[in-house]
Amino acid sequence: MTDQVKSAQINAIDPSVRIKSEKELSRLGNSMLLNEPSDETLASQVARGDSNALETLYDRHAAMVLSLSLKVIGDEPAAEDILQETFWRVWRSATTYQPQRGSFTSWLFRIARNLAIDAYRRRNVRPQIFFDANDADLLTNQTPDPNADVAEQAQSVLKERQVRSALETLPRMQRQVIEMAYFYGMTRQEIAEATGEALGTIHTRARLGLQKLREELNTEEFEG
Amino acid sequence: MNKQIEELLPFYALNALTDEERDLVESYLLEHPEARQQIEEMGGAVSSLPYSLPPVEPSTRTKQALMARVAVDQRAHPSTQGQPSRPPLTRLNNIFQAFSLGVAAVAIIWAVILNIQLSRLQNQVSSLGDALIAQENSLEQINAKLPQVTPSGVVTISLSGTTSRPDAHGQLIADPNSHSAILVIAGLATLEPGKTYQVWFIEAGGPVSAGLLTVDENGQAVLILTAESAIGSFNSIGISIEPEGGNQQPTGEIVVYSDL
Repeated sequence: MTDQVKSAQINAIDPSVRIKSEKELSRLGNSMLLNEPSDETLASQVARGDSNALETLYDRHAAMVLSLSLKVIGDEPAAEDILQETFWRVWRSATTYQPQRGSFTSWLFRIARNLAIDAYRRRNVRPQIFFDANDADLLTNQTPDPNADVAEQAQSVLKERQVRSALETLPRMQRQVIEMAYFYGMTRQEIAEATGEALGTIHTRARLGLQKLREELNTEEFEG
Repeated sequence: MNKQIEELLPFYALNALTDEERDLVESYLLEHPEARQQIEEMGGAVSSLPYSLPPVEPSTRTKQALMARVAVDQRAHPSTQGQPSRPPLTRLNNIFQAFSLGVAAVAIIWAVILNIQLSRLQNQVSSLGDALIAQENSLEQINAKLPQVTPSGVVTISLSGTTSRPDAHGQLIADPNSHSAILVIAGLATLEPGKTYQVWFIEAGGPVSAGLLTVDENGQAVLILTAESAIGSFNSIGISIEPEGGNQQPTGEIVVYSDL
């Protein structure tokens, strides 16, 4: 594929371009990936000892795993260690992954998140946990990686836009509770204490927030 | 429906419960399919959350470290990972098996060749070892002599040719307080038979012979000089062309002259 074609395709998924239907584009992104083995297929190959399949999964998802780890622990060298450890666990435990219980990425992100939360608990340091203007900038100013596969890039950008858009519809306090619980592993009691709200309020915000997020994402269409 | 447990479900989906709470929810889920359905739905939303973050490209070092670790693991535990069940032999498998046997045969031949090469290399290493021991002995001898000619306070003096031999140049390495020095010289012509270079230390009383010098085919020579007085007591050094066997005083052409 020539650089010009790649460039044209990257431009085609630039957020500044007017898009009629996110779902339409999502289907386009999926169709671009049809010739590639799915994550779940690759995971089964990893379970049989195929290191090439592991490498493909790494190339697809390492940037997101690193991003997640970095969000939790706030320290890039430590986040890189967690990234390596996450895929090491995928290598060693791929036989335990059950596709019927959820997507590969759900499993992968759960491993990464738990490792990152354990790491920062060991350090006894909590990173910045509230949304601020910089978070909003980060969410809106995405630059595609020029080395990434164009189809994967399209998928990645589309997913980011879907999730970002869905999260933006949540009331700030609901979004905050979800983020504190997911990215920092805070228990409902810890969240109540940190926000000064009643436990019942935290329960309600978490439930309503996830419900609304699910509706917005229409998770049947979203392939997380 | 247990309201208290239901309140925990979102945090179960977010994986943010204590161990005790999680056990409680999991027991509940076993008997409540509608709660399991809720967890599945919320789980879909939760798994989307990492996508709200901007991807961060990892360093290549992390991937290299991971893959190296995997390669070591593959070598150490070739059967650790689950292996696919072996299907019945087919024609394709037979071809593959034949191919594998061929590869194995080539590998054996290659191993034999490598063994022969290894044996040759071992012999070479042995010879080199002997040579190294000889060199070390020579070095010890040189080191034993070195203090005699290179005591502390050594200075290096540059020497240059006269107008009759401008290409000549060299160095005198000496401790001014000692009676020995090393002369290194280059750019001198090889002399016709019956002639020789003679080195002179020059002091207030006149020149004193410091030895005869023979240059090689490249016009180079190294000579250890000795003198009755300390080197530092001389004013200058010179080299002249003298009849074979040398002279009491310089009589021929002076080709090198430098102040000390």
